[in-house]
Amino acid sequence: MTPIFSSTSWMMRQVIYALVLGVMTAYYFFGWGVLLQIILGVVTTMVVESVFLALRGRYVISSISDGSAVLTAILLAISIPSIAPWWVIVVGVSFAIIFGKQLYGGLGNNPFNPAMLGYVFLLISYPLQMSTWQVDFLSLGQALDVVFDLSNIDVISGATKLDEVKNGLSLVGSIQQLGLHSPSQAWINAGFLLGGLYLLLRKVIFWQIPVAFLAGIVLSSILLFASNTDLYLPTQNHLMLGGTMLGAFFIATDPVSASTTPGGRIIYGFLIGVLIVIIRTFGGYPDGIAFAVLLMNMAVPLIDSFTQPKVFGR
Amino acid sequence: MADYSFNGGIVIRNPYPVDKVEIIQAPLPKKVIIPLQQRIGEQAKPCVSVGDYVLTGEVIASTEDSFGVFIHASVSGVVLSIDEQAIPHKSGLKSQCITIESDGQDKWIDNAGCSIDFLHCSAQAVIDYIQKSGIVGLGGAGFPTHAKLGKIKQCHTLIINGTECEPGVMCDDALMQFHPREIIRGVEILLHICSAKRAIIAIEDDKQAAYQALLMFNHNDKISINKITTKYTSGAEKLLIKALLGVEISSGSFAMDRGIACQNVATTKAIFDAVVDHKPLVSRIVTVTGSGVKPNNFEVRLGASFKSLISMASPSQKVHDYRMGGMMMGVDVADIQAPICKITNAIFVNNHIHKTAIQECIRCGQCSEVCPVGLLPQQLYWHAKSENIEQALNYNLLDCIECACCDYVCPSHIPLANYFSFAKTLNKQQTREQDRINIARERFEFREYRLERNKLERVKMMTDKKRVLKEKMAKEQSQKRKIAEAIKRVQQAKDKKL
Ligand code: SF4
Ligand code: SF4
Repeated sequence: MTPIFSSTSWMMRQVIYALVLGVMTAYYFFGWGVLLQIILGVVTTMVVESVFLALRGRYVISSISDGSAVLTAILLAISIPSIAPWWVIVVGVSFAIIFGKQLYGGLGNNPFNPAMLGYVFLLISYPLQMSTWQVDFLSLGQALDVVFDLSNIDVISGATKLDEVKNGLSLVGSIQQLGLHSPSQAWINAGFLLGGLYLLLRKVIFWQIPVAFLAGIVLSSILLFASNTDLYLPTQNHLMLGGTMLGAFFIATDPVSASTTPGGRIIYGFLIGVLIVIIRTFGGYPDGIAFAVLLMNMAVPLIDSFTQPKVFGR
Repeated sequence: MADYSFNGGIVIRNPYPVDKVEIIQAPLPKKVIIPLQQRIGEQAKPCVSVGDYVLTGEVIASTEDSFGVFIHASVSGVVLSIDEQAIPHKSGLKSQCITIESDGQDKWIDNAGCSIDFLHCSAQAVIDYIQKSGIVGLGGAGFPTHAKLGKIKQCHTLIINGTECEPGVMCDDALMQFHPREIIRGVEILLHICSAKRAIIAIEDDKQAAYQALLMFNHNDKISINKITTKYTSGAEKLLIKALLGVEISSGSFAMDRGIACQNVATTKAIFDAVVDHKPLVSRIVTVTGSGVKPNNFEVRLGASFKSLISMASPSQKVHDYRMGGMMMGVDVADIQAPICKITNAIFVNNHIHKTAIQECIRCGQCSEVCPVGLLPQQLYWHAKSENIEQALNYNLLDCIECACCDYVCPSHIPLANYFSFAKTLNKQQTREQDRINIARERFEFREYRLERNKLERVKMMTDKKRVLKEKMAKEQSQKRKIAEAIKRVQQAKDKKL
């Protein structure tokens, strides 16, 4: 039997379910801030999307229930630091929905991945808030305090590992001295990896993008690492730090803005992987997933038109 | 033999299965409505008038058009009217029809044929019988069979399509189970006509009973019976050829160009009836199925109303949606007073349900995974929707067989095949328009050219004339000069003498 998906909303829901494992792992390490950001993001997206759908004269309920806006909000919420002040996620999600999606004509018409557009917008506008991560587990009370800036509590915060690599390299001689081990990030990545495998199994996403994406990262990082082991991150760190697995299975696979031919998906995923390593290594920002995805979004029409599959009888 | 298969396609279980396939004889209809328009070619001209008594099998309309076939009375009785009636067609338009009221006697006319020793008839004679018996492709396409056979030259393989065209349709399955002898004989007639070296009857591997039945009656070693994987769209001619022979008929050309002829099993049986039993095409087997009825097959006279047939399949009391042809490629019908035609292979009667809302395309790519032709429906849809036909053509719009596999899997429930069919129509219109423009432009350009040429010719003529004149003058002058010189010389001589 050919599997058929009952609806677009069903597919989006599957993606959201698949995120649960990774999100719970993040919660385990960083506490309530993670969930708070998601809640803020989802509420914002509901409001903004409804207003815009109403303005455009669409059926609000049937469109919003496709779940794509909620998915965008969740993806953005788990990409930003969980102790970022509340307005960061509100601004980010609003930007993503309005400029990333609705102004292009809504779902299906946006050339860019809305969540990543929101992320880049935030990164450029609020670099400080976007690069301060906490280290400890936060209780609900603490998280509310920090996110809504209720009282001045001191959260032990710092930069991410990728940030450390970027900034710390000037202080020490070799990358090996930096202590790259980061169990929390590795576990979170593992959570998203498992969620992604679930999506592959249910055939909600095709294998080409994640596999090519990871292959791109592995190949380019091996080449760099082999050229200078002191200067460049080893492959396993590339895979297990930052948002690699989230990017491979959940962000790059956003169907609307990704390449849609089988061959195209491989090129698309692979080049995103390569770009991520290049940006992480040589760029001004610690993690490059958002930039890499957006750059490749731009190349999609070109890739698609060059990778049309063979037509029967031609 | 190998099963080459093709990419894509979908596997769907029969949504309304039956325990045992049957063929139930529908009673003689009280009234039949027989449309005069055929699939291609011009409308047939009636050769009876209102009030005439006709016999079953009598020709009631004929045509000179080489694509047309004769049309026969499917019951004996009196011609009630010749006028516009609703017919089952996606346009929903009315069409000229002959209505006959049955006298309940079913008296047959004696037709000519060549009976069982058809080998003595020439191929052309048999093809003529086929045309005169009103046979068209019964698989659903309705292409006139004699036209298809007449074009065959140097045929090496004859393929008999016994794959049920769509899930849920069982009429060919039933036919093969209950009329295997006629089908095998029909194949032999076809072999005789196109003088092919072999014939392959293709059956899907879930139709075991039909396979066994045919196997039992096949004693001809030119005929083989092949099972292929059950998959939707394997009934499509080119895909079937790929699955059986591994030959890919290239886009824009036909199976005939490669020496392969294809016929449907029901058509083959009709050919047997016509050639051996002298019976023109006046009935067919129709599957009535769906959630609103007890699914079954019925042998029914052409022209009986949908309604009369549906009432035989114990319909439920609920509100129904009607669809003709099949769940994938069929057409919704609103008016069930419409008559059953030669191409009506199935009627779906479903309890009414609300159609699921159409959502935006999310480019998920499920559609291109199943497209048997290897197209990118998501891209085609984009261009078809914006009526950008040129781009759609770049994405091979014309290769789409409108099988609706893509619709079936689309999570956004977009009626993709409808869009593509619409885009093709638009394209046809545009090409026609373009042709007209091209002709007009050529005409204009020719006129310009002609005017220009005339002008040039005139100029040339003038210059020619002038030159001739000048030459003439120059000649005259030189003559004059010569004369003058001569006179002068004479004068001088005279002067000298003096
Ligand atoms: S299956 Fe439907 S939603 Fe998915 S890409 Fe094709 S047309 Fe778009
Ligand atoms: S309808 Fe056309 S595009 Fe859709 S699956 Fe069939 S051939 Fe492909």
